[in-house]
Amino acid sequence: MVRDLYMFSRVDKEAEVVWFRITYENTVHSEADITSFFAGKGLDIRFAYLDSSEDPSRGKYVMFTEAEADRNIDIIADELDKMDVVLDIDWGYSENRIIQSVDFPLNILGERAVIIRAKAFVDILDLVNENVPQSEGLLTLIGLKNGAGAARYLKEITDVSQNNYLDLLKELLMAAGWGILEHEVNNTELKGIIRIKDSFIAGEYEDSDVPVCGYISGLLAGYISETLKRTVQVRETRCNSMGDDVCEHVVSPAPTSVKIEHLLRGESH
Amino acid sequence: MIRQPNAILGNDHLLVTMGKKGEIFGYYYPGRDFAQHVDESQACIYDGKQLIWSNARDWTADQKYVENTNILSTELTHPAGITMKIWDFVHPELPVLVRKYRISSEKKLHGKFFYYSNLQVGETKGKNSAFCDHDSGLMAQYWKNYYIGITSKPLFQEWQIGKAMDTIWWTNSKYDMEDGELQRNHEDIGNLNCALGWELDIDTSRSAEIIVFIGAASRRPALYRRMRDIQSEPDEKMYNETQEKWIKWLSRKKLLELPDYPGFESFKKDIQKTFNRSLLTLNILNDPTKGSFVAAPEFDHDFEMSGGYGYCWHRDSAEIVTSLLEAGYPEYCSRFFKWCKSTQLKDGSWFQRYWLDGNTAPSWGNFSFSTQIDETGTTIFAMDRFYRTLEHPIKEEFLDDMWATVLCAAEYLMKRTEGGLHEECICLWESFTGIFTYTNAAIYAGLKGAANMAVDYNEKELADRWTERAELIKNTTIEKFWLEEGYFARGTSSGNIDTAVDASIIGTFVPFNMLSAENEKEREMIKSMIRNIENNLSVPVNDHYGIKRYADDNYIDGNPWIVTTLWISKALLELAYTIQDTEKGHEELRSLMHDAFKYIIWSLKGATGAGMLPEQVNKYTGRPAWAIPLCWSCALMLDNVLLLDRLQNKLAEKYS
Repeated sequence: MVRDLYMFSRVDKEAEVVWFRITYENTVHSEADITSFFAGKGLDIRFAYLDSSEDPSRGKYVMFTEAEADRNIDIIADELDKMDVVLDIDWGYSENRIIQSVDFPLNILGERAVIIRAKAFVDILDLVNENVPQSEGLLTLIGLKNGAGAARYLKEITDVSQNNYLDLLKELLMAAGWGILEHEVNNTELKGIIRIKDSFIAGEYEDSDVPVCGYISGLLAGYISETLKRTVQVRETRCNSMGDDVCEHVVSPAPTSVKIEHLLRGESH
Repeated sequence: MIRQPNAILGNDHLLVTMGKKGEIFGYYYPGRDFAQHVDESQACIYDGKQLIWSNARDWTADQKYVENTNILSTELTHPAGITMKIWDFVHPELPVLVRKYRISSEKKLHGKFFYYSNLQVGETKGKNSAFCDHDSGLMAQYWKNYYIGITSKPLFQEWQIGKAMDTIWWTNSKYDMEDGELQRNHEDIGNLNCALGWELDIDTSRSAEIIVFIGAASRRPALYRRMRDIQSEPDEKMYNETQEKWIKWLSRKKLLELPDYPGFESFKKDIQKTFNRSLLTLNILNDPTKGSFVAAPEFDHDFEMSGGYGYCWHRDSAEIVTSLLEAGYPEYCSRFFKWCKSTQLKDGSWFQRYWLDGNTAPSWGNFSFSTQIDETGTTIFAMDRFYRTLEHPIKEEFLDDMWATVLCAAEYLMKRTEGGLHEECICLWESFTGIFTYTNAAIYAGLKGAANMAVDYNEKELADRWTERAELIKNTTIEKFWLEEGYFARGTSSGNIDTAVDASIIGTFVPFNMLSAENEKEREMIKSMIRNIENNLSVPVNDHYGIKRYADDNYIDGNPWIVTTLWISKALLELAYTIQDTEKGHEELRSLMHDAFKYIIWSLKGATGAGMLPEQVNKYTGRPAWAIPLCWSCALMLDNVLLLDRLQNKLAEKYS
């Protein structure tokens, strides 16, 4: 996974914000060597991340420093380039000192991803709800597709089992900033409750009389059904937008051996 | 959702539009404009692990018509070694689409063949009802008096009626197909989708054949009867009769006597092919009872990027019926003018556009200042062209029948041109308000046509009045709009002259003959106009130039149009036809024909893989763009080919 970077530099308004993207040979001391080099030059690293997950033989070290306005960065970059562990470097100034992307495009779960403000996402949901007939069904289906896709991707990159699949989802949702997940699901009976605290959808919604996280219900249904290869229905029964502390999604098996017409007539199953 | 078809199918009762991979985009019954019953309808293979939809990106598609018919052949090849061949046609008599699938595989394939549909019967997503009567082999969905039924040969083995857009997602047929099993439920209501399934067990030596029939009716018993009949009819007979029907209809066309064209090797074959395709296309876009045509099968149902095309415009239809008349099909004129009689407004004009049943369509031309006066002129002009071809006693009967219509229309044109030019209205492109060269030319032609009919109706005084006004319009248009740069201004807007070059100024010559190629001075004006249009409106794409409508056109990227391009080639061929027999004339003849050929070839390159002529050609990719097929483009192609034929006859006569 490659991370995009947002930077808000306010430390020294007179200084230049300089970014470096360094590709290095992955040895046990490479990162330390590079960090020491910057310390030796008196360049304070304000923000940095490194990533050697894509290719174990080489790593990528992205950092932001602040340098005096007249500092010659070319010379520093040349010296850096000559270090044994450094394979390639790229650098530049963050002109606006507000937002700087070094890596493009952003990838999450093996796919191109974008960062979108929660409000913008909820605005889309709002417009869908206002203008599309059966919007709840539509959002469920979209969530379902996204949840199933996430499950498939996780299966490709890690061992997913009944014991860890919801914990993996918890980490994923937290990393994506969507909310904090807690679960009490009996995988055998396929029954239980999933709570989402600080759901980005419910949080951005105005007060509502009905649950608003149908998309999340769909996502959970898709994720669980794809992981366990069993069909579940997920319904949101409590929602932060309705004044509840958390959003609560009830998980249960989808009715089997029941014809739709029977289900809709309220016949037992 | 906007989806542009690659091909269309139909008969007197049904119109179907299709994508490149055999997906149904539109299923219109009982009218060509209403109701469109399909949101999605296509096949899908379950290979034991996953679904392979027939419109998936992996398939390579080759789609073409069976020669001289409205039978479509689509061959899909999948990298997994699967081939799906589809023959699509509409039954010769019944409103039933026949879809014959042959599936073969390079490897052993044990799975399922599914046929999935998301219907919106009566153009209504909700409040539909569906049921599967497996004993009768029928899956049916209905809303009010619209019934759509699906049956098959061999009979489907499993089925599902699902909720297309509901939170109980596991009942959705599209999702439930993913496990390779359908639920076999009997009925449901709401926003529905459905799937039919067959076991598929094929290998290199054994392919599978499944025929899916999609029929329509206005009542349940009729649907049952229709689908029962179709199940018992041998499919070979159906296919042969359909083929025979189209070939027979096409055999009535005017016989073309085209020579080989040195330097344009495949030209003769290509234009014969496009001539036939244009005729076959126009046939199924016409309402056979009312006589009206849709401009194009509707594809922008929600007016997302335009005002829609599934309506009848008099401007388009008048040109279409006269083209069909010249091509050997006069009955389209008879029906259309009868329709005109019934749709004429009280003031003598015609509305911007109509539903095919004659009701006024959604419009931005509801006032006298926002109407399009050219449509009234064009209608009367076309009516007279048809009238002139009639013989005693039909001719007199036609005039008796139409006289009141002609009189009202001509007087409307008189009322709106008292100053020698028409009053403000909307232009033919529906882009500008003002006074226009094109519209004045159309009125000129309409009044001249009306005057011709008035003479025969013993209304000489009216004829003189109308002729006098027509000549006044011509003189005023030239006086006010002809520019020293050698072309007509588009017209005036808010009282100011609008000198933008607009391809529609060629309307002063073709089709309206306000300028004559046989008058030396006017001939030079025509040539100068063409030069100016070419210099200002040529768009390079597909190895030549297409002509866009006007400078700064921003409708759908300002692409070149087939109609405007074929107007220019038609004008060039008309000039060629009227060339004087001199040595210089021979050179000019060759040059004019060469230039015309280039434009015609360019237009052919813009057609879809199946040969449909679009409204526009994408100026970046050269691919067909926007409305597909456009009847007006087809009509202009017919005109061009017929003109080539006339030209050839004239040359042959001269040198025989």
